[in-house]
Amino acid sequence: MSLEKFKDRNIGNQNYTLIGHEAFPQTSGEKFERVMKRMLKGELFVGLWVTLRTMFQALFKGEMHTTKYPFEKLPISPRYRAIHEMLRLLESGHYRCIGCGLCEQICISDCIRMDTRYDENQRKEVSEYTINFGRCIFCGYCAEVCPELAIVHGPRYETSSEQRASFSLFEDMLTPIDALKQQKEYPGFGAISPNADENIKKTPLAY
Amino acid sequence: MSKDKEIKMITVTIDGKVCQAPYGKTILQIARENGIYIPTMCYLTKVKPIASCRMCVVEIAGVEGMILSCQEVATDGIEVTTNTPQLYTQRQNIMKLYDVNHPLECGVCDKSGECDLQNKTLEFNVATQNFTTREPHRAVENWGFISYDPALCIMCEKCVHVCNEIVGDESLAISVGGYKSTIVNKNLDDGCHECGECMSVCPVGALVSTHFKYSSNAWELTKIPAACSHCSSGCELSYEVKQDKIYRVTNNYEFSSLCGAGRFGYDFENRTNGKDEIDFNNALDAFAKADTIRFSATISNEEALILQRLKEAKGYKLVCDEAKGYQDFLKAYSRISGKSLYGGDLATIKSSKVIVVFGSRVDSDNPMVKYAISTASKHHRARVMYMHPIEDTNLSNIVTQYIKYEVGSEEGVAALLAHALVDRDNLDEDTKVFLDNLDIGNLSAESNVGEEEIDTLVQSLSKRKDFTLVVGADLYSHPRVENIAKLIALIEKHGSFDVVAIPPATNALGVALICELDNQVGDYTIGYNSRGDFTLSALGEGDLDMPSLNQQEGTFTTINKQVVPTNAALEYKGYVLNDIASTLGVKREYTIDYTQELPIDKGYQGVAFDDLKVDFGINGEDLRGYRLQTQGVDSDSILEEIAPLPTYDGLVLYRANAINQFSPFTHKAKELQSQEFLRGSSQFALAAKISDGDEVKFELDGVKYTRVFKIDTSMKGTVAINPTNDKGLSSTLVSSYRYAKLILDVQNK
Ligand code: SF4
Ligand code: SF4
Ligand code: SF4
Ligand code: SF4
Ligand code: SF4
Ligand code: FES
Repeated sequence: MSLEKFKDRNIGNQNYTLIGHEAFPQTSGEKFERVMKRMLKGELFVGLWVTLRTMFQALFKGEMHTTKYPFEKLPISPRYRAIHEMLRLLESGHYRCIGCGLCEQICISDCIRMDTRYDENQRKEVSEYTINFGRCIFCGYCAEVCPELAIVHGPRYETSSEQRASFSLFEDMLTPIDALKQQKEYPGFGAISPNADENIKKTPLAY
Repeated sequence: MSKDKEIKMITVTIDGKVCQAPYGKTILQIARENGIYIPTMCYLTKVKPIASCRMCVVEIAGVEGMILSCQEVATDGIEVTTNTPQLYTQRQNIMKLYDVNHPLECGVCDKSGECDLQNKTLEFNVATQNFTTREPHRAVENWGFISYDPALCIMCEKCVHVCNEIVGDESLAISVGGYKSTIVNKNLDDGCHECGECMSVCPVGALVSTHFKYSSNAWELTKIPAACSHCSSGCELSYEVKQDKIYRVTNNYEFSSLCGAGRFGYDFENRTNGKDEIDFNNALDAFAKADTIRFSATISNEEALILQRLKEAKGYKLVCDEAKGYQDFLKAYSRISGKSLYGGDLATIKSSKVIVVFGSRVDSDNPMVKYAISTASKHHRARVMYMHPIEDTNLSNIVTQYIKYEVGSEEGVAALLAHALVDRDNLDEDTKVFLDNLDIGNLSAESNVGEEEIDTLVQSLSKRKDFTLVVGADLYSHPRVENIAKLIALIEKHGSFDVVAIPPATNALGVALICELDNQVGDYTIGYNSRGDFTLSALGEGDLDMPSLNQQEGTFTTINKQVVPTNAALEYKGYVLNDIASTLGVKREYTIDYTQELPIDKGYQGVAFDDLKVDFGINGEDLRGYRLQTQGVDSDSILEEIAPLPTYDGLVLYRANAINQFSPFTHKAKELQSQEFLRGSSQFALAAKISDGDEVKFELDGVKYTRVFKIDTSMKGTVAINPTNDKGLSSTLVSSYRYAKLILDVQNK
């Protein structure tokens, strides 16, 4: 197609078809007649009845068809990416994060900020960790890069806030220690592949 | 004695590329100069080849087996191949061995991102571990500023070599035990200077900074190229910054070195909240009243020039106690030698075969001089003569002859040296007569330097060449500085010695060249990082805040007679000296606009700040900034008669800071903070009737000291060492001779 044709935005030459409709009332008598017809036919109640019947069935016959949000929420895919969770090691209960800083580095919205220090047990300790959910775009990169399966996405998707910045601290996202048993592995971004066992090469050990 | 031969050029073919090089270089050096890559794990340019890793193997046509390119000197006509399948397998196997049982802790390791083991493991595609061995328990060791994790150590031995060859401490050694080998620090309590040189060259995370450990990843930090502002070496370093905080200091460890002050004393910045207009207006009032500006030589060239311009415009007197004696020394030196600057520098010291140190406690005055001496001693067994009233046991493994002289007798010692070292052949008649008329017997008796000691020194020179005479701050503060300088100049001019006159403070050389200094303060003094009636201070304790040297751009003039740039690592929100000067009519937009105006007649080159480089050459030449051009000066002066040598009987104090301490700025740095003591021998304690731990009071240069006395078992005699770096703005008040008779006011125990 030549550029001229492409640029030809003249839309006046198409063949439009008019949809037929009944003729408009012409005289005042005809107009009066149409108003009366519409009034007395009771068409309004046909529609209202459908609503009333469904309402009745829902309230009194237990045939509710919608979720009672916010009291009730739809189940979502386990791979859904919402507010982050920080997981713990199942054996020791210690948080998994080793403070490597990869999530902070990879985050494309620059919303993770962390500080680390050398702790009394000669470990790298996470001394500060925040995510600004006002900026997070839930891309999942952090969960994917994390070498420890420590940061994952959870199902909490309500992120509205009164302020643009809304920070979540490490402790807010960390699995509560008493809920350790209920902690689930995350199957989404960054999770190990189902055939991971086959791919593992054993390291020789000398004991 | 000189037997310089024409250096033979050879031709070497490496991977088909024809390379020219002077004879004496190793294959690896030639390859690197020509941009050919040979992997190495243990090679460190600044030390002798270590040859512990065998990664650098190459093949030479017609030669059986693999050759270690790092230590094999190239011969003419060889054909070298750096990469073949066999060499690759060989290198891969080495990497596999390095990786045996190596902890999988890159995720937390400080070295991650700049780790040679990480890089080479990836480069040689070692994805699995095939061998194993029983792992002994290896505990992490804390060596003060440095932590050692033997589990991460790959035994490349770089740390041991820098400690021995560069620093000269000989603190590190290998505890040999096959796979169980580790590095041990023998001198943890005494001798290890905690300079961090070992840490900087460690290719893995085995040696790391205790303070920095686990606080940030290497890739998160922004490197700000700068020059160390603590002493006159102006060493190359990078401040590593994140979120307006300096996390650590690194340097180009392949070629250059740092001492502990440069490496660990980085957080001396002056934080201000903004421009304090009231203080600024007070400052302007004070400048209107003042007739003197007294300043510290820890200042940039540009600021020094601003002060000089203020002097020219407003007639202020400029007083810089730290640099005045040095300026006098240089002036007097020039009038004999005919040159504006001394002849040697750190590189000359490094390549010298004989080094005489006179009047400086080099270990604390300028660590790079000590490093250079130690390198000369270790690399070509240079003879080192250390002449000082106080023996320095830290130098005992590099000093070949210690010559003790009496405090105050420096002029006599200089005369003895001149008498022994000056070559009479081309000497003018007056000087010849002067030297021949010296009463050597008397000088020797008075200064306590035996004639046979001088003879031994002279004998050391025979059959050798490349001599350096290092002189220091003891001479500049001597009342007879001018005659001493002339004698030193004579030795350089007629004695085949290169002289290095260690500038006594960071930019003492710059100040001495740029400013016309006055002797006495007037009635109303502005103190800039020094005491005054109104003080401008980068220490945060003055009347108007100033930026410290890690918050400013500018240049320093170093011991190498080199102008090196430094950059601001941290933001500074307040007023700077240039703001005051601009208000007073000496106008420039930025401080660094003065860089190109530095006086050309003093050897500066008129290069703009932004055109100054911060590079090193491929062989490690320091290409930062530019070198001063030595100017010819009329040599019109004659030597004066030697004045009667003063006597310092009884208790004497020597002004010197502890290792890694130079100024109130190093004292302010968090990692370096320490209590300063008066240190002396048990003989001193006896004479002063004090004992270890006593508090003593005394006054020097108008500064009152209250110090705890410590017996230092390595010291002898009745001279004690008194640091000044913890005295804040008063620590620059050092106009008097470096030794002082002491009148003690002893407190109860
Ligand atoms: S989900 Fe994406 S945007 Fe959000 S914190 Fe992770 S990396 Fe950053
Ligand atoms: S990537 Fe994982 S282990 Fe690393 S800092 Fe983030 S959460 Fe912690
Ligand atoms: S030393 Fe290097 S390879 Fe070893 S854990 Fe540290 S970063 Fe990883
Ligand atoms: S501590 Fe570092 S520099 Fe020293 S031998 Fe071990 S790996 Fe090499
Ligand atoms: S204090 Fe002197 S020797 Fe030490 S790093 Fe700084 S400039 Fe170099
Ligand atoms: S670099 Fe040659 S043996 Fe290590």
